[in-house]
Amino acid sequence: MKFGGTSVATLPRWQNIRELVASRRAEGARVLVVVSALTGITDALKQLCGEGGQDKRRAAAGAIAQRHYDLLEHMQLALPDTLGERLGELARLAEDGPTARGELAWQAQVQAQGELMSSALGAAFLSHSGLPTQWLDARDCLAAVALPNQNERTRLLSAMVEAKPDPALNARLAALGEVFITQGFIARETHGRTVLLGRGGSDTSAAYFGALLKAQRVEIWTDVAGMFTANPRQVPGARLLQRLDYEEAQEIASTGAKVLHPRCLSPLREPRVPLLIKDTNRPELDGTVIGPEVRAHAPSVKAISARKGITLVSMESVGMWQQVGFLADVFAHFKQHGLSVDLIGSAETNVTVSLDPTENLLDSDAIAALASDLAKVCRVKVIAPCAAITLVGRGMRSLLHTLSGVLAEFGQLRVHMISQSSNNLNLTFVVDEEVVDALLPHLHDLLIAAGALRTDDSALFGPSWQTLYGSGETVGAVPAWWRQSQRQRLLELATETTPRYVYHLPTVRQQARELKSLAAVDRLHYAVKANTHPAILQALAAEGFAFECVSPGELEAVSAIVPEATPLLFTPNFAPREDYALALATRATITLDALHPLEHWGELFRGREIVLRVDLGRGLGHHEKVRTGGSASKFGLPLDQLAAFLQLADTHGVIVRGLHAHLGSGVLDVAHWGEVYVQLASLAERIASVVLLNIGGGLGVPAHPGEAALDVAELDRVLNEVKAVYPQYQLWMEPGRYLVADAGVLLARVTQQKHKAGFRYLGIDTGMNSLIRPALYDAWHEIVNLGRLDEPATALYQVVGPICESGDVLGTDRRLPEAQEGDVMLIAQAGAYGKVMSSHYNLRDEADEVVIDA
Amino acid sequence: MTTTIQPRLTKVFRFVRSSYADGVAELAYAFDDGEELVERIRFPNAPAVPAGRAAAFDAALKLLHLIAGISYYKAGVPPKIEVADGPLDDATAELLDQLYLHGLAEFAYRNGLDLRGHIAFPRGGTAPAVAALDLPKRTLVPIGGGKDSLVAVEAIKSIGGEPTAVWVGNSALIAACAERTGLPTLNIQRELAPALFELNRLGAWNGHIPVTAVNSAILVVAAILYGYDSIAFANERSASAATLEYDGQQVNHQWSKGYAFEQLLGNWLHTHVASDLDYCSLLRPYSELAITRAFAKLTPYFDVFSSCNRNFRLLGPKPVDRWCGQCPKCHFVFLALAPFLPKPRLLAIFGRNLLDDEGQAAGFDALLEYQDHKPFECVGEGAEARAAMYALSQRPEWQEDALVARFRSEILPQLDASQLALEPWLEPSSEHRVPARLQAALAAIGG
Repeated sequence: MKFGGTSVATLPRWQNIRELVASRRAEGARVLVVVSALTGITDALKQLCGEGGQDKRRAAAGAIAQRHYDLLEHMQLALPDTLGERLGELARLAEDGPTARGELAWQAQVQAQGELMSSALGAAFLSHSGLPTQWLDARDCLAAVALPNQNERTRLLSAMVEAKPDPALNARLAALGEVFITQGFIARETHGRTVLLGRGGSDTSAAYFGALLKAQRVEIWTDVAGMFTANPRQVPGARLLQRLDYEEAQEIASTGAKVLHPRCLSPLREPRVPLLIKDTNRPELDGTVIGPEVRAHAPSVKAISARKGITLVSMESVGMWQQVGFLADVFAHFKQHGLSVDLIGSAETNVTVSLDPTENLLDSDAIAALASDLAKVCRVKVIAPCAAITLVGRGMRSLLHTLSGVLAEFGQLRVHMISQSSNNLNLTFVVDEEVVDALLPHLHDLLIAAGALRTDDSALFGPSWQTLYGSGETVGAVPAWWRQSQRQRLLELATETTPRYVYHLPTVRQQARELKSLAAVDRLHYAVKANTHPAILQALAAEGFAFECVSPGELEAVSAIVPEATPLLFTPNFAPREDYALALATRATITLDALHPLEHWGELFRGREIVLRVDLGRGLGHHEKVRTGGSASKFGLPLDQLAAFLQLADTHGVIVRGLHAHLGSGVLDVAHWGEVYVQLASLAERIASVVLLNIGGGLGVPAHPGEAALDVAELDRVLNEVKAVYPQYQLWMEPGRYLVADAGVLLARVTQQKHKAGFRYLGIDTGMNSLIRPALYDAWHEIVNLGRLDEPATALYQVVGPICESGDVLGTDRRLPEAQEGDVMLIAQAGAYGKVMSSHYNLRDEADEVVIDA
Repeated sequence: MTTTIQPRLTKVFRFVRSSYADGVAELAYAFDDGEELVERIRFPNAPAVPAGRAAAFDAALKLLHLIAGISYYKAGVPPKIEVADGPLDDATAELLDQLYLHGLAEFAYRNGLDLRGHIAFPRGGTAPAVAALDLPKRTLVPIGGGKDSLVAVEAIKSIGGEPTAVWVGNSALIAACAERTGLPTLNIQRELAPALFELNRLGAWNGHIPVTAVNSAILVVAAILYGYDSIAFANERSASAATLEYDGQQVNHQWSKGYAFEQLLGNWLHTHVASDLDYCSLLRPYSELAITRAFAKLTPYFDVFSSCNRNFRLLGPKPVDRWCGQCPKCHFVFLALAPFLPKPRLLAIFGRNLLDDEGQAAGFDALLEYQDHKPFECVGEGAEARAAMYALSQRPEWQEDALVARFRSEILPQLDASQLALEPWLEPSSEHRVPARLQAALAAIGG
C-alpha cells in the first residue's frame, strides 16, 4: 500500500492509514506500506540543496525538523529514536554542505531524508496505536542498476531498479512481522550510495516492492478514485475507469493522466501483479484495477487525453524519396541538438515529428540550430504551440467506423498530424494548442454519443467525476413534475387527444426564480422565440421578466399580453427595413448587428439609442446549428467593422447604449458567460456612450441522465466577479430555453411496431412535424412510456414518427418497457423550440397545447 | 444633473480649485456655469507633507490640477480656458499649451478638429524661485505590466538604485507584475469625476488623451509627498516619432511619452518644484528592439507580463487571458521578441503563433508600414519592425511561417536589404536625461 505526501502530513490522515492497514490485516494479508515525504518536504529539501550559505541551510533544516515535531505533538508521541537519528543526519548534511560527497550524491542524500523521516514517524505512530510495524530501509531492498545511457546526474537522481521476484526477501520479511513501513523514492546503487528514483518515484517504489515480493496486489492510495476517461479538470463528465490492462493504463498515464506515473507499471507486468488505485478519503469507491487479464469486452475507447506545449518540426523534401539513409541523417540532427522525438508522421515527401516541451527546447537555441541544420537538406517548418489529443483503447483500428462524428469535428480544425502506432492502442491528433480546452469536453461527449466510448458497459466504466466529486446537482435528484405529481393528469389529457403539448407553469416559475437569484444581472429578458404561449408570457411577466423579440410578429404577440411598462428588446437578424421602422414605433430597445441598417437607412435611427450585437469571433453550443457566434455564423458585427459602425452611428446621431453578444445555446460551462462579459466590457470601455452589456442567453439544460445541471450559484459568482471590476455597466441576459424547456412535454400515442434488420421500431402518432429538434440538432429528449413507468425496460426501441422522412426519428436505442398500441408516450423537455418550430408537413394536424397551473 | 449641458457647445473650461487633505487630492473643474467635475486621487498611507516641502507640494498639486484637466477639457474643447487663482507664469503656460495641443493631436485628428491656435492658457503670472530639497535618494518606477517598465525596474534593481514600483489605478495584471518584481510597491488610485460619464452620455467629444502626462503629474506629487529624488519612466526612443502627419501637423499617439515632453516637464520641475527632483525615461536611448532584447533575458516575468492593449481586468492562467493576439501591441511585441527568444518559448508566452496566421497579415503590414500608416498605438517604428521581420526571414525555424514566407516573397523584394540589419537598432543613442545617480542602470540595459 502506497500513500503520498498529503496522506501522511496530518494526524487524521495517519489514523486513516491505520484503519486501512488494519482492514487489510483483517483480510489476512501481510502489509508493506510505502510512504512519500510529508507534503512540501521534498520541495523544502530541494530548496535547501540550492542554498549557498551554511546558515541558510541550517535554518532550512530546522524548519523541516519543526514540521515533524509539530506532527509528533499532534500524535502525542515522544520523539522516536529512529526519527531522531534522521533529524540528526539532516542537520549534519546541512552543516557539511555538498563539498565532502560531491554535489549530486549530497543532493540525493539530503532529499532521501524526507521519506526516511516520514516512514520513521509512521512506524512509531502505527506501532503506538496497536499495529506493530517494522521499519524497513528501502535501500536495503531496492538495488539500482547502472544503465549504459546514464550520466552521473541520472544515475543518482533518477535511477532505475530491476525488480524481479525475490523469495529470499519474502522469507526475510516473514520472519520479522506482519506489517512493514518503508520509503518511496529511494534506493541504493552498487557503490552503496543513496540514489533517488526521480519523478513518480514513490509509486515506482511501490511497484518495485510489489514485483520483488510478488505481492497479491499493489494499492496506490491517492486523492482521487483512479483513472478517468479524461482529465476531470477539463471534462467534469469524465467517467471512472474501473478496469484497464497494463498497456492501456500505461498509454493513458503517458499521454496525460497524472494520477499514476507511467514508469510504475512495467515492473508489475511480468510478475502479473495487479495494481489498484484508491481514494484515501473515499475508500468505499471501487477505484481502478490495472491487471493482466483482458476480459472479453466490446472494443471501446477508454480515454481521451491532451498534452500541451508540443512543438512540431515538419520537414519537406523530394530528397527523402527512396533515398537510403536520409531519415537516419535527419534524426542524427535531433540527437545532436539534444532533442527527443515523440510522434512521427511521414509521407513520401514529408516527415513531421513532435517534440515535448523540455527546458532544452524552450530555453536554448536548440530549435534554431536544428532548423539551420535541417534547412540544408529540406524545407523546415516549426509549428507550435500544439497539443496532442490522444484516444486510447485496445483495438483502436476496429473502432474507426464509430468515430466519424469525432473525425468530422477535427475536420473543422487545423490538424497538423495524425499518428497511430502498430500496437493499436492509440490514435493521436496534433492540433493548435489554443483550441484544446474547449474541444476536449466536446469530443468526450461525441465519443459517448457515437458509441465509441461504451459508457453503457458498467463493468468497465464507473460514475462520472462530477457525480463522485462535483458540487453541482445532477439531473434526477428531484423527479420531474410529470413523473409523479402530474402523471395521472397527463394520462387523462392524452386520452382526450394526442399529440398534444402540456406546459407546467409552476416549473416555469421555479426556473424564473432560479435565474432571478442571479444578483449580478440587472435585467432578465425572456427570449420568447422558445415558446410564445400566452400563459407562459403572462407567468414570466408576473415574475418581472422583460421580453426579447426577434420579429414584428413576436413583438405583437408579446405586446398583446404583457403590461404596458414591461421593457422589450428587439433583436432581429437580416430583417427588412420596415421591421425596424415598425419596432421604432414601439417602446422596444433595438439591437443592430450589421453596418447595412446605418449605411442605408441611417436617418431612420437618428437620435435613437441602440444596442450593438458584436461577434466575438467564436461560437459555442451543443450543435453546429445552434452556434450563433464565430466567423461561420451569420450573427453579429465582426469586430474589425466596429470602428466603421461607430463612425456611422456618429454621423447619424445614433447613440450606442449597449453591447450584446450571444455565442450559442445549450452551454453548461459557467466560465463562458464570464468570458463574454469581460470581453464585452473591455470593448465597451472604448465606447463612452455604452451603459449596458447584454451577454445573451444559451443557458444549458442538461438532457442526458447524469449530466450536471447549470450551477446557477457559480454562474452568479463568476458574473459578480466581473461586475466588481466593471460596476459602471448594467448587465442584461436573455434566457429562453432555460425557462421553459423542462416545463413542457409532448404527449403521443403508440401507433405501430415493426422489427427490421435487428432493430425494433416503435411508431407514435407524431414526429418531426411536432418536434423537429432531434432531426435538426441531433437533440436528445428523454422518452418514457407514461403508463408503464414502473415496468422493467426490456425492449430496445427506435422511437419514430409518422412523417415520410427517414430523419423522422425522435429517439434511437431507447431502453423502454414492452409497449402496446395506444400506450401514451411522453417526450420530455419539449417546452422550448417545440410547438414554435412545428409545421403542417405531410398535412398532419399540429399538436394542440394545454396548460397546467397547479 | 440639474442643468443639461451640451458639452460640444460649451464656451469656457474652468480650473476651479484643487486641494489636498489626508492622502486625497481633489481637483475641480467646470464648463461654463455648470456643476463641478471633481476628480479624486488617493495616495495610500500618506505621511503628512514635510514642512520643508510644503511649497514644492503646492506647486506639484497645482501642476497635477492643470494637467489632469485634459481629461475634462477634451469633453467640450471650448475656446476659452480660465484658471481660478490667476494667470500662470509663462513657462507653466507654455508647458500646458504644448501638452494640450500635442497631447490631444490624435484626439483632434480622429474627431476632425483643428486645435492649433485654439488652446491658450492665461499667462502673465510670476514664476516662483525654488531650491534643492535634499530628497531621499530613491526612485519611483511606474510599471504598466508590459515589458518596458520591467526592463527599467530590473536595471535599477541591478545597480541598487532603491526603486519602488508604482502604478495608478486598479489592474490585476500590473499588481501581479509588481509582486513579481519583489520591490516595495505604491498603488495610487485615481477616480475620474462621475459627472464626466454623464457628459459622455450627453455626447461629449471623446478620444485619446496623453495619460502618461497625467500619471507623471501624479508621481510628481507622490515624489514630494513620500520623498523620492527621481521618477524614472520606461519610454523608449521611438515614442518620439510621429504616428502620421495630418494637414501639416505631426500627430504622435505617444507624445507624452516622447522626449519633447520629458524635457519640458523635467526642466519645469527643476525651476518650479525642486531643483533636485529628476524626471526622466531610463529607456530613452534605446530602440524597442534593444529593449525587447533586454527583456528576453527576464524569464521570470514571461508568465505574468502583457503589453496587449486590450484591458484585461480579470486575469486567467492562460496566454489568451493576457494576450488578445489581434491588436497592434500583441503583433509588435511578438515580432520584436522573436529574434531574441527560442521560438517554442515565445510561442508559449503567446499561446499561439501570430506569424503563422494569415488572418493577421493586415496587422503586421501596418507595423511594417506596408500599404498603411503606423497604427495609433505605442509600438516601434516601421523600420524596426522591418528589421525584426527581416531577421526572422533569414532564420530557418521561422521562414516557412505564413507571414514570414509572405514577407520574403512579397515585401522583401521591394525593400533595400542593406537598410534592414538588426544590429544598428541595438546601439543606444546619447539622447537622455537620466541623472548621474542612475546612469549605471543605462549600461545594464544595453549589455
